[in-house]
Order: sequence, then C-alpha cells, then structure tokens
Amino acid sequence: MTKIGLEIHCQLTNLESKLFCSCKANYRDFKINENICPICMGLPGTLPRLNQEAVKKATIIAMALNCTTPDKIAFFRKNYFYPDLPKNFQITQLNIYGDTSIGGTGSIMVGEKKINITRIQLEEDPGRLIYEGSSSKNLITLVDYNRAGTPLVEIVTEPDFEGPKQVRDFVNILSDLLENLGVSDPGLDGAMRIDANVSIEGGKKVEIKNIGSFHDLEKAIHFEITRQESLHSRDISIIQETRHWDDKRKITVSSRSKEEDLDYRYFLEGDIPWVRIDPKTKAELKLKMPESISTKKERYVSKFNITPQVATVLSSDKFYSDLFEKSHTESNAKEIANIITTDLMGLVDTREKREESKITGTHLKDLADSIQSGKISRISAKNALYEIVKTGKDLSKVILELDLGNVSDESTILKIIQEVISDEPQAVEQAKSNPQTINYLVGKVMQKTKGKADPKLTLDLLKKQIG
Amino acid sequence: MNLKISALEFVQEVKNGNISAEDFVAKTLERIQSVDDKLHAFLSVNEEAVVKAREIDKKVKSGDKVGACFGMPISIKDNMCIKDSKTTCASKMLENFVAPYDATVITKLKEQDAIFIGKVNLDEFAMGLTTEFSAFGPSKNPWNTDYVPGGSSGGSAVSVSSFECITSLGSDTGGSVRNPASFCSIVGYKPTYGLISRYGLISYSNSIEQIGPLTRTVKDTAFMLNIISGLDVNDNTTRDNKNEDYLSEIDSGIDGKKIGIIQEMVGDGIDPAVLSATKDAIAKLESLGAVCEEVSLDMVKYSVAAYYTITATEAGSNLARYDNLRYGYDFSVEGYEFNSYISKARKNFGPEVIRRMIIGGFVPSAGQAGKYFLKAMKVKSKLTKEVDEVFKKYDLLIAPTVPILPFKIGEKIDDPVSLFQIDINTVTANLTGKPAISVPFVISNGLPIGIQLLADTMQDKLLLQAAYALEQTVTLPEVPI
Amino acid sequence: MVTEEEIEHVAKLMRIEIDDHKEFVDKVHAMIDYFDVLDSAGVESEEISMHEIPISDLRDDKFIPFNEKLIDTLNNYKGTYIRAPKMST
Ligand SMILES: [Zn+2]
Repeated sequence: MTKIGLEIHCQLTNLESKLFCSCKANYRDFKINENICPICMGLPGTLPRLNQEAVKKATIIAMALNCTTPDKIAFFRKNYFYPDLPKNFQITQLNIYGDTSIGGTGSIMVGEKKINITRIQLEEDPGRLIYEGSSSKNLITLVDYNRAGTPLVEIVTEPDFEGPKQVRDFVNILSDLLENLGVSDPGLDGAMRIDANVSIEGGKKVEIKNIGSFHDLEKAIHFEITRQESLHSRDISIIQETRHWDDKRKITVSSRSKEEDLDYRYFLEGDIPWVRIDPKTKAELKLKMPESISTKKERYVSKFNITPQVATVLSSDKFYSDLFEKSHTESNAKEIANIITTDLMGLVDTREKREESKITGTHLKDLADSIQSGKISRISAKNALYEIVKTGKDLSKVILELDLGNVSDESTILKIIQEVISDEPQAVEQAKSNPQTINYLVGKVMQKTKGKADPKLTLDLLKKQIG
Repeated sequence: MNLKISALEFVQEVKNGNISAEDFVAKTLERIQSVDDKLHAFLSVNEEAVVKAREIDKKVKSGDKVGACFGMPISIKDNMCIKDSKTTCASKMLENFVAPYDATVITKLKEQDAIFIGKVNLDEFAMGLTTEFSAFGPSKNPWNTDYVPGGSSGGSAVSVSSFECITSLGSDTGGSVRNPASFCSIVGYKPTYGLISRYGLISYSNSIEQIGPLTRTVKDTAFMLNIISGLDVNDNTTRDNKNEDYLSEIDSGIDGKKIGIIQEMVGDGIDPAVLSATKDAIAKLESLGAVCEEVSLDMVKYSVAAYYTITATEAGSNLARYDNLRYGYDFSVEGYEFNSYISKARKNFGPEVIRRMIIGGFVPSAGQAGKYFLKAMKVKSKLTKEVDEVFKKYDLLIAPTVPILPFKIGEKIDDPVSLFQIDINTVTANLTGKPAISVPFVISNGLPIGIQLLADTMQDKLLLQAAYALEQTVTLPEVPI
Repeated sequence: MVTEEEIEHVAKLMRIEIDDHKEFVDKVHAMIDYFDVLDSAGVESEEISMHEIPISDLRDDKFIPFNEKLIDTLNNYKGTYIRAPKMST
C-alpha cells in the first residue's frame, strides 16, 4: 500500500511583523535586503523577541485542525549551516520535554478519509538563495534575507494519504481553511510550501523536498510512486533518502548531501522562556475563531435555501464568502449567491483580477435589490457588474451612465410589442395556441430594448395584446 | 586629581562643582596611557570621551538635568555592543565588527550620562578564566604583573582595580565577573538571571550568563544595578524588579541572618590561605550577628562537568553564525564551495574556542546527548532544587570565590582540565540563576583573595546588604601599580 | 572513550578545519573524558524545565522598520545582496 505523509509550511502572511523582530511579515514588496534588522540578521548580541499574535494565530490553526493545544510552549534550536540561515540555526519547536509544540495530535476529514495531524510547530522562515550567472560553472550564490524570520507554521501529517488525488484534495481544503481563518493568504507566492514523504509496500520512506507549487506536488508524488514501483518490480531495494523535485525536468533527484552528516543537535532555546497559554486565553481565541467552512456551508443551505453546490463554492472561498456576508439580507441572499457564483466568478478568476477589482458588499446588495424590485434586468445587472468591478462606481451611477435602467413605461413597451407582433406573425399564432411559447416573443422585445424592458410588465402586456 | 574615588564620591564631587568631569576623564585617559602598556586591560580607548565629558560639565554649570552618572568613566567588556564602535569579543573573527546598535545596558548608561572610556579585554568570546585566551594578548594582574588577572572579564577587573576607570561592566557565565574581581581585589557581581538585560551582550552560553558590574565598593555595585537592571522588551528572559533601589538600606546589617557554608566548596583542592580567609570571613559575619552553619550541596561535585557540557553546547550554536558571510574579516568567497569556505574562515577562532565548539558539537549530538547533554541539564535541575531547598532555611550562602590564589601567566594554559576545577565555586550561581557577589577580603603574600556570597532568586538587595556588611569589616592595601 | 575519528567527524560537523592535530585531539579528549563524572550523578529521573512567562508578556505584533539601511553596514554584493560561496548540491 502506498503511504504518503506531508509537511506543510505555511507563512502567517496576515501578521504585521516577523516572528522574532519588528520587520514586516509580508516581505514581498521590499527591495533586496531592505526588510532586515539586527535581530533577523542574527547580528552578535541580538535576541529573539517573540510575537504574541503569531503564537495566537498558530494556536487558532491548531484548534481548527482539532489538535490538542499545550499549556505551555517551548522553542528549540535546530542547528545546521546554510547561507539562508543568518544564525546558522533555526528556532523551531519539538516535543522532547513533554508536549510543548504549539499543536499536538489532531485530524481533518478529506471526504470520507480521516487525515491525522502529528504535530504543528511555529518556526522562522529562512532567507532566500538566488543563483546568478550564465552556466552552472560560474554560478554565484546570492542571499536575500527579507524573508528571514517570517512566521511559519509547519503542519506535519501522519502517512495517511493513499494517493496524489487525496493529497490534492487535502491541500485544497487546508488552503481554504487557513484563508478562512484569516491567518494566511496561501495564494501568495511561496506562502505555502510542502514536502512529501512517499513509501510503497515493502519500501523505505523517501522525502521529497523543494516542490514549488501545488500543481507540482501531485506530479512529484505521482512520479515518485512510479519510480519506486519500477524499482520494486525489478527487485531493487528502495533506500531511505531525501530527493529534490527538479521542476524543469519534472523528476525527483537524489540529494547528494548525506543524511548521516546532518545532526541537528536540537536543544532548548534559552533566549525564549516557556510561554504559558492559559485556559482563559485559549477560550478567548476559540470564541474569536471565524465560523468554519463546513458550518458556513450548512448555514447557507438551511437558512437561505441556497443549493449545496453554490453553498460549497461560496463558503470555501474567503473572497466570495466575505462579500456575501457583507451584502446579504434574508430576502436577497439567494440572488446575491447567484450573482457571485454565476457572474462575478468569471470576472475575477485570477488573483490579479481579484486584487484589482473594486467590488464591495454594497454593490452586490444594490444589484440584488434592483433586480428583485425590477429596476434592472439580470442581463443589465451583469453589464453593470462588469463596470462596477472595473471602476467601483455606485450602481445608480452605472445605471445612469450606461443607460441600463429597465423600461417600465407602458406606452414605450407597447410600441415595441406592436413592432414585434407585426414582425413575427407566425410566432404570434403559435403563442395563441400554445401559451408556453410566448417567452419567445418576450425575448424579441428584450432584444429590441437591449434587455431593459421590465420583463414582468412585458409579459403582461403581450398576453393582453395577443389576447 | 584623585582617580581613586568611588562612583558615589565622583558623582557628588561633580554635582557640587568640586571637580569637572572633563578633568577627571582627561586624567583617566592619561592614567590609561601610562599604565596600560604594562597591564593590557584595554582593547580600544574612546578618544571622544573628553568631548562628551565637556558637554556634561556644561549641563552641570547651566543647571540642566544631568544623568545619575555625571560623566563617570566606565570601561565595557568588549563583548557588549556600543553603536558604531568596534566590538571584537577579543577574537580575530570579529576584529572588524562594528555594532550597528546599542546594548540595552549601554542605552541605559548613556541616558544617565556615563562615559565609555574604552572597551576592555577578555578571553576570546568570554571562554576562559584567565584572559590568556584573548586573541590580542593577555591582561596582567596589577597586584603582580606576572600573574593572571582572572577572567574572562580580566580587562574589566584590571581597569577598575588600577584606576583606569571608576567602574566596569563584565559578563559572568561561570564566574567571569567574580573570578577576576577576586583575583584583582575588587567587587564583582553576578545578578539573578534575568535581572539585567542581555540584549547586546554577545552570547556565549545564553541560558546562564548575565552582565554584571565590577566596582571598587559594594555601594558602587548597588549604584550601577539601580541604573542597568530591570525588565527589557528586547530580552524576553528579563524579570521585573519593580525599580528596586539597591542603595537604600544597604547598611541594614546582617544581624540574625542565617548563612550556610557550602561544604563542597571548602574541601578538597582549596588553598590553605583561601581556607583560612574564608574562616576569618565567617567569624567576622558571626561577630556581626549572623548565624553560620555548614550546608551540603550534593550536586556541586558534578556542577563543573554539567557547566562545561551546557556552555559548550550553547557556544557551539551561538558561535555558528560566525561564518564570515554577512560580516567578519576580509576573505573572499570567490572560488570556494560553501562548506570548505566557512571551515577555512572559522579557523580564525582561537584554539580554546575551537576546542569548546567541538565539544559543543559532540555532547549534544544524536548519539551522545543522552550520556552528556541531557545528564548535564538534569544535574542543573537537581542542583537548582538542592539550592532552593537550602534557601528555605538560610538567607545566604558563603564560599570562597576561587579555591586557589592567582597563578602565573602561562602556568595552567596547557591543562584545560585543571582550569575546569577553578570554576567549582562559581558555576553554581550560574546553573541555578542565583545572584552571587565576590567581595575583596584579604591580600595574602601580595595576592588577593575574595569571598563569595550567594542569595536566593531576586534577593539581590539582601545580598548587597550582606556584602556591604562584610566589606566594612576589612581594610585592604592599595594596589601596587 | 571518545575516538579520534569521532572528534574529527565533529570538527567537520562544526565546520572548523583543524591543523594542530595531535595536541588538539588530546586536549579535547581529556576534556570530554572529564565529563564522564556525570554518569555517577544519579539524575536519570530529573525533569528538565525552564522559566515560564505568560503569553501577555510577549511583544505586540507591530511593524517597526529598522531605522537605518543595515545592508550598507554589512559585507554586501553590489549594495544589495549578501554573497555566499558556491553551493554543492
Ligand atoms: Zn528584522
């Protein structure tokens, strides 16, 4: 049986500052090495200053993954030499002296499958290495430390996954969950990085590192399973090792650094006392925890009679559910859910488009209300939405500027109905004998008014005219 | 100009306009000029000191608010960061390192108008107890320049005892303030762990070390503590002392106090002169109304091994950052592979530092941690329990600071294990986090002997009161330099 | 008893080249042998603990940029990066 375990590194991107200093947690907008200070550069004499909010956010993650949370947390040093580590050790967590890691055992459901969490730890991200130069021979190694010290949560799972598909489903669920908790934006480049342990029946565990994207994660696992099975079928034993994902060649490659050379010499970080997380704090955190995706979905279905499919889409995406929460009322909820999942989704289907979009909850509320009161048609609403996303203007202004308001003046509509009746004698006859087909004529009226004729009024008038 | 006055006297004199800070600082610099060739306490001297002193004099004259130090010249062990000045740790690795920030103690002293007269010598990265392991040459004991001044804060002790400054800041990991204070006949203080911020102190063994003042009087130590102690946001291990005033009631005496004499520190290997000095000190304390009784701390036998195991482990990690990539000395990375480059670059550490780092790689390693590091940590725990237990019955503990007299430069440098034994009386305070002080007590055949007192956690005020009482019982000769 | 090979291995792990071999190994040897005394301390059942603080003592999450351009004071490469030697992967 194939067994896969994951180590997920997730940056707490929504924090203001780094884990141990006051530099910016989200380092992405800085020039090279301009988001650094003596502490995150590990300069002689500096000490870590633990970020209270990081401890709280990580605890919330542990709670959301149904993990146990300890009464006190401890930090350890993981010692190894690498240029992206300013101190040549990483401050991280372990459970050597009792359960002192930010999260203990827990679990999460992926469909019908229960995935067990081994441990969650809070740690610091290293800097970034950049290789410059034309050929591998004259490569220069450069280091940008802007990322060094970014708060990172490592989630370690049991080897409970049976295949790449399950891994993908889990990662999607986890990513939505972290976003919903408001602790991280997993879509940001490098915010979520995953190592995988893969083993097949009768073989040793192989760790795959350096997997750049979610997309590659599935590929890397797939490749590794195939590689191991191929070795197995030829009676070649699978050795325990670390392999790197080569994203150009799309294969895993054995890492030359010998494992036996690595001895992390873990020991207690004396610069950070053990931090008590008292029951009162835990209770407060639990209370402040946002509604989970599954409860949210259930609420949408039961309270607003939204279909399960729409509710799933709406609840699992924080961008959409936040908009929904800000705009819906008892009466317009379904309409708003539909606007979001049919029209808005197509307009903001990439991260960039979302960031640029100017839409607010008020816009959505106005749109839904206007549709329901017959002020604009659904077609016009769609056109208005396009404009709103682009410009952020008020709906009333958009309706005016683009002339999208419904025509509800009887004489105007009547005039157009007369035109349609004379243009479509056949359809008129048909409608007389089969009232169902009258919609065709309504459609023609709509066409002529560019979708602006009040649909209800049009239908009533048509019925009268045809008799 | 009398350079021999205490810190409190200096402050009074400048405040009253009897002396100017500028004159005093200028004379101090002259003193350094004339004696430091023989003593080698200083690694660098602050040429700006006189200018700073002049500014303070101006403030005094114009009646502006002046900080509590009134321009008092202080020397700083060269493992504490002063912004924009060199901080070498007496190591070739950091020969050119210029600190871009101030240590918290420096910030506090600057706010109180102290003047940093210079950075003083130490064993490289504070690893040693003789100052012979400085990459820039040993300091000499002013009582006899053939002898070691103790260490690792040797430069601090020498500069204070030979009037090259009024007070100094050192750091004490296993006795590094108390040992040289004892060898140079001055007061050396290791506070409760967490009483003074370590931010800006270059770590050797961060879980047990503390910055501590070296002064010529116990009152001066209390004065320094008032300025530099207390909670610091930059150091999560600091404790809130509620702005305790260590000077007030310092003369409360020790009548009725119970003092335990640590048996394991007055037994095997103690020099007869040190033993008899200790007995005299006990007699004097008893004459002041203290009750002295023998106590036993079983774990002391293992304390030195535990101490070196823990300090080497932490040092191996703390010094890993010196890979010469971000700062350091001139040595191009061109043409090297990462591991071979840093292995070469790190050859610039001195032999003792290298030895301890290798031990620091060995004792906590996967195969050995159970035998060495974990046991050492457990000895630390058990020793702490024992000491806590003793402090339920006793107010203070007493032992000689160092079991032997100062020895000649070069005499023990080749025998690291025999050097270990010298720390036996001092490491307990570090491993347990308790405050301890060395009080100069007697000069025996021209060489100083100090007496050590210990108190319970956060009982620093009580400890200083006892030290003051003991200090008042002796009159010591002046240093012959 | 610690072997010479073990000491050499650790020196490599700690990234320090040793020249003065014999003398060096002997001294380290003697130091480590001294630690054998720990075996007779009888502390197996002891627990390891540390000073504790409440979570409320920890720093608030605020972004405060360092007040100067730190990279200028470090060994920089063209004013921006830190240069490292070649990596051997
Ligand atoms: Zn920083």
